[in-house]
Amino acid sequence: MQLNDRTTDARRALTAATLALLGGASVPGAHAEERSWDIDTAVLVYSESDGRVQAVEPVMKGTLDLGGERLFTTKIVVDTLTGASPNGATPASTPQTFTGASGGTGSYTTPAFETPLDDRFKDTRVQGLLDYQFPLSADGTLGFGVTGGKEYDFLSAGASLRYSHDLFQNNTTLSAGFSFESDQIDPVGGVPIPLAEMLASGGDDDGQGEDGPEGEDDDDPDGNGREDGRSDSKTVTDMVFGWTQVLSPRSLMQLNYSASLSRGYQNDPYKILSVVGADGEPITYVYEARPDSRMKHALYGRYKRLAFNRDVVDASYRFMTDDWGISSHTVDFGYRWYFAAHHYLEPHLRWYTQTAADFHRVALYDGEQLAVEYASADPRLGAFDAWTAGVKIGSGQRAGGTWSARLEWYQQSARVEGVPAQAAEGLSKFDLQPDLSALMLTLGYRFKW
Amino acid sequence: MSRGDIHVAAVADGGHAGRFRAMASPCEVLVDGAPAAAVAELTRIAAAEVWRIEAHWSRYRDDNIVHAINTAGGAPVQVDDETARFLDYAQQLHALSDGCFDVTSGVLRRVWHFDGSDRIPDAGAIAAVLPLVGWQRVRWQAPWLQMPAGMEIDFGGIGKEYAVDRALQRLRAATTLPVLVNCGGDLAASGPRRDGSGWRVGVEIPDRKDVPVLPLARGALASSGDAHRFLLKDGIRYPHVLDPRTGRAVTGGPRTVTVRAASCTEAGVLSTLALLHGSGAESYLQSCGADAVVWW
Repeated sequence: MQLNDRTTDARRALTAATLALLGGASVPGAHAEERSWDIDTAVLVYSESDGRVQAVEPVMKGTLDLGGERLFTTKIVVDTLTGASPNGATPASTPQTFTGASGGTGSYTTPAFETPLDDRFKDTRVQGLLDYQFPLSADGTLGFGVTGGKEYDFLSAGASLRYSHDLFQNNTTLSAGFSFESDQIDPVGGVPIPLAEMLASGGDDDGQGEDGPEGEDDDDPDGNGREDGRSDSKTVTDMVFGWTQVLSPRSLMQLNYSASLSRGYQNDPYKILSVVGADGEPITYVYEARPDSRMKHALYGRYKRLAFNRDVVDASYRFMTDDWGISSHTVDFGYRWYFAAHHYLEPHLRWYTQTAADFHRVALYDGEQLAVEYASADPRLGAFDAWTAGVKIGSGQRAGGTWSARLEWYQQSARVEGVPAQAAEGLSKFDLQPDLSALMLTLGYRFKW
Repeated sequence: MSRGDIHVAAVADGGHAGRFRAMASPCEVLVDGAPAAAVAELTRIAAAEVWRIEAHWSRYRDDNIVHAINTAGGAPVQVDDETARFLDYAQQLHALSDGCFDVTSGVLRRVWHFDGSDRIPDAGAIAAVLPLVGWQRVRWQAPWLQMPAGMEIDFGGIGKEYAVDRALQRLRAATTLPVLVNCGGDLAASGPRRDGSGWRVGVEIPDRKDVPVLPLARGALASSGDAHRFLLKDGIRYPHVLDPRTGRAVTGGPRTVTVRAASCTEAGVLSTLALLHGSGAESYLQSCGADAVVWW
């Protein structure tokens, strides 16, 4: 189809006459200039039980149709996190005091027999996205975007490129995408030295003051296990190949393969491990150490079907495996029930399970910190199962926007693995990986502007 | 499906299409992201509007304004607001097209019978009816229309496209979801689908087995062609495209012209005028900057 911008006076007169016939400016879309933004807004409230992480996340996405199937999209996400997060240490029979983790100065004390939580966890994260997509040919669409993110101690920038191609009268769509992201992490107090001892308590009072560069590591003049002022970085490269197929007038399926390679600094600079004796009580604490690269492969399959000429069944499965030894399975099922012409109710159930990373350890036995290459007590790298159950209600309002509300409950149960054998009995009196539950509420509103 | 019925069926992308018949064509309403019940409700809104326009301007009825005009016998007829707007439009089109577009040309049907035969009317027969064709013979001073006895007006050439635009306006007022209205291949969409993609519109070309698919994000598509209505004599195809100035069929033109424009009405006018330009269809479309596909 040829596009010709040249418009003669006769054509302009015809357009004007047609507009007058159809009610002038009251014909939306008749003016190419009359572009409107499609605005999608949502706010997510995430609340973990027992005063752990609380998050509020407003999202705003605007899409501008530039005509000719060219779309410009911009998105901004703000995350506000507060609450407490496990620092990786095991419980102890006596109160434990920690310093020097997130939040900078100050210390916090965990009562006996409780999982140490760093309650100074507080962060605001802002992420932005700019994206543009346009037709490259009758069947091909190219899109590219840039992203940027900023947190208190974290800066990221990325770019992505994707292409999709329609085949067989648009019954088949093949797509490929590539993205690259570069992250800079600048932890409070500098990057910890992997497996170096963390000051358990007392800050500078242990005699290794800031003026006494007597630490064993030249990069750590104050001997607190952190390389003062030093930051680190990582890069993440992602690739995804997708195939979407219309199976019948009522069903379609989607298959994706994705690969992700993360290189550079993988540690969580605020996570530690307890080094325990045979009695299971902590002797000291060391910073975690993860390999400096992680390769992930994932397969994703989805099936969507129209039911009873009215509802939508949506089922998906995802398998992920990485070179850290983590494998996960996700099974997701949703059913959108249109109980009225403009309203739907959508129950949703998800089951997730993952194996632990090879180096995941609940704690290290005294001396092991000198022998192991990698170790992390981060529960997110441990073995666990999780259920998510929820329901969403939504509407398409007349002559207004559409709204939706979703309430979900998340329950995670850890399978305790990675307990040092020599301290197993001593540690058995503690709840090493307590279950986690969370409530999520998402409110969405979409409108034209 | 008879007049007055609508029917909702599932379609390929998992959505629904509401269907009805109007203006001798199958009509369809597509709503992206609405369940069957909502599609049915919206289809009723669109169908009511299309049926209203059909009843208002059909030349096959004896209870409407067109019948009153065509049987006035030379007397002035007072018309309603909507008809007045349409006559204003017809007058502008007649001027803009140098007389190519003429709502009084329907009288030529008395001598041209596009039944697939080789019966081309002779010059005498054409000359006999030609005095009854020509907007320049009409006195139009809104709201009064006066035509010489025997002349007729016919909105058939553009009424369907107008009905599509009107139906879409009604749907826009009723829903924010992306919608598309299609009456016999003339169609208009409110905007891209919810995922940002355009609608994929298959265009039926006579004697072609494949159905070319054109993308449409917003705006409208209208096609004009001789489809099955033509005469064939001495190897020359006389399509159902009559030049109101000569009373003769325009030969040597494309089989089908599909135009994409902001409104279905505008697209329909451009595709009709392109056919009237015969072998010069493409250069005509180009000269007026039309976004069009021409099939020969």
